[in-house]
Amino acid sequence: MFGYLQPKKSELKLKEYELYRSVYCGLCRHSGKDYGIISRLTLSYDCTLLAMLSLSVKGEKSCVTKGHCVCNPLKKCLFCSGNGDSFKFAGAVSVIMTYYKLQDTIEDSGFFKRIIARFLKAIFSHSHKKAANDYPFIEQNVKVMMENQRVAENSDSGVDKAADSTAVLISNICCMLTDDEKQKKILREFGYYVGRWIYLIDAADDLPKDIKKNSFNPFKKHYISDNSDISLTMSYCNNVLNMTVAQVVAAYNLLEIKDYKEIFDNIVYKGLSSQQEYCLFEKYKEKDKSKKDYYPALSRKE
Amino acid sequence: MNNDPYKILDVSPDATDEEVKQAYRKLAKKYHPDNYVNSPLAETASEKMKEINDAYDRILSERKKAKSQGQNYQTYHTNQSRFADIRALINAGRFTEAEQALNSIISTERDAEWYYLMGIIVYRKGWLEDAYNYFSTACKMDPTNAEYNSIYQKVKAQRSGQFGGYNQNEGVSMPCTCCDMCATLLCMDTCMNCCCNGCR
Repeated sequence: MFGYLQPKKSELKLKEYELYRSVYCGLCRHSGKDYGIISRLTLSYDCTLLAMLSLSVKGEKSCVTKGHCVCNPLKKCLFCSGNGDSFKFAGAVSVIMTYYKLQDTIEDSGFFKRIIARFLKAIFSHSHKKAANDYPFIEQNVKVMMENQRVAENSDSGVDKAADSTAVLISNICCMLTDDEKQKKILREFGYYVGRWIYLIDAADDLPKDIKKNSFNPFKKHYISDNSDISLTMSYCNNVLNMTVAQVVAAYNLLEIKDYKEIFDNIVYKGLSSQQEYCLFEKYKEKDKSKKDYYPALSRKE
Repeated sequence: MNNDPYKILDVSPDATDEEVKQAYRKLAKKYHPDNYVNSPLAETASEKMKEINDAYDRILSERKKAKSQGQNYQTYHTNQSRFADIRALINAGRFTEAEQALNSIISTERDAEWYYLMGIIVYRKGWLEDAYNYFSTACKMDPTNAEYNSIYQKVKAQRSGQFGGYNQNEGVSMPCTCCDMCATLLCMDTCMNCCCNGCR
């Protein structure tokens, strides 16, 4: 996962922000316990959302305690802890995904990157073994997804085919959260389009880099037919993403969210769009300005 | 499950008629079947919509006594189409078979309706870009067809960010454009039709 699923901070209330942080810190602490200190490095906003979704859909009781930060003992922070299931689940997903991402890097990066990736993979292998043992279903799914992804990228088919494997993976992961058939159906849809969105925004974000390096990107075809005008292509990407968000919103509205409703609302209704704004447009404006007067969250007058 | 109609509409029992109506409209807009056309969640959404409609009706009848109720949602029209059998498959939810049947038609035989139906199938699969291209081709081939146009317009609205996402052209201070006003009026209209109580 890549860390695109974030709330729009400027629109969060302080208490919501603290709660969000506490889930993040709780996940960090739990995954340290479950999968070793190293697994903490794999933590991302996406997994925080997954943990929160799991807590909320399962209706798992959670409490917030104050304690010392694991990484920086001088800092005090809030920790959210439930009965552990949700955090363990999210931690495992995070570890397994990171492991396979490294694998991917080893297979198609340059010399130095490959060495670093190999080194990291060796470090993660213990955590990965444990996680794969706990959740063989996820392990299996990620493996399949990586394989499909490779096939889709090599056959150079369209945007939809390329995004499909990630979308299916997230969809399957979300499905695991509940046994209720009705909720499952909604989560399957929700997960599919969230996964699709993640894949596509990552692709759009990497587009300039991929053009330079001449590596695979699903939007490259469009870039060439746009006569290499990056801003035109970015508008196109934005349209593609918007259409996906419309499906995410439609599925999300039907989801029965018990806790953290405000934070989810923020992420789905505002977070996704502000990520699009930042990754596709603001970033390019930013290059013209000096970094000092740039505040991503506040830059847009409302 | 809670059965309190006020809870379902998320208003307090002391709310005025106007407030109840507004809450109802907001929810009805959110769960309107139009937002779930071709979606596997259509059924769930319509259950939700029904729940909201029922809650609203119950409040109204509690408050004003005896109001008639009835609603009808759109159904797929299957009148004299070349691909009637394929439409039947789609309506029955047998998408893989429908896709195979469509793919077996040779490319010279493919008309606007072929592209439209193909769009419906891939949209359902979640392959939105292909769907968009199919719909746009269908509209280009037969610009006067209301069925193709309505889905194409809907999809275009989604792409522009009206249903979530980032709208590039959104004005900084005044986001209310002509188009928004039209859309609002349309939405209000559909909401009223939905509960058949209309605006009195």
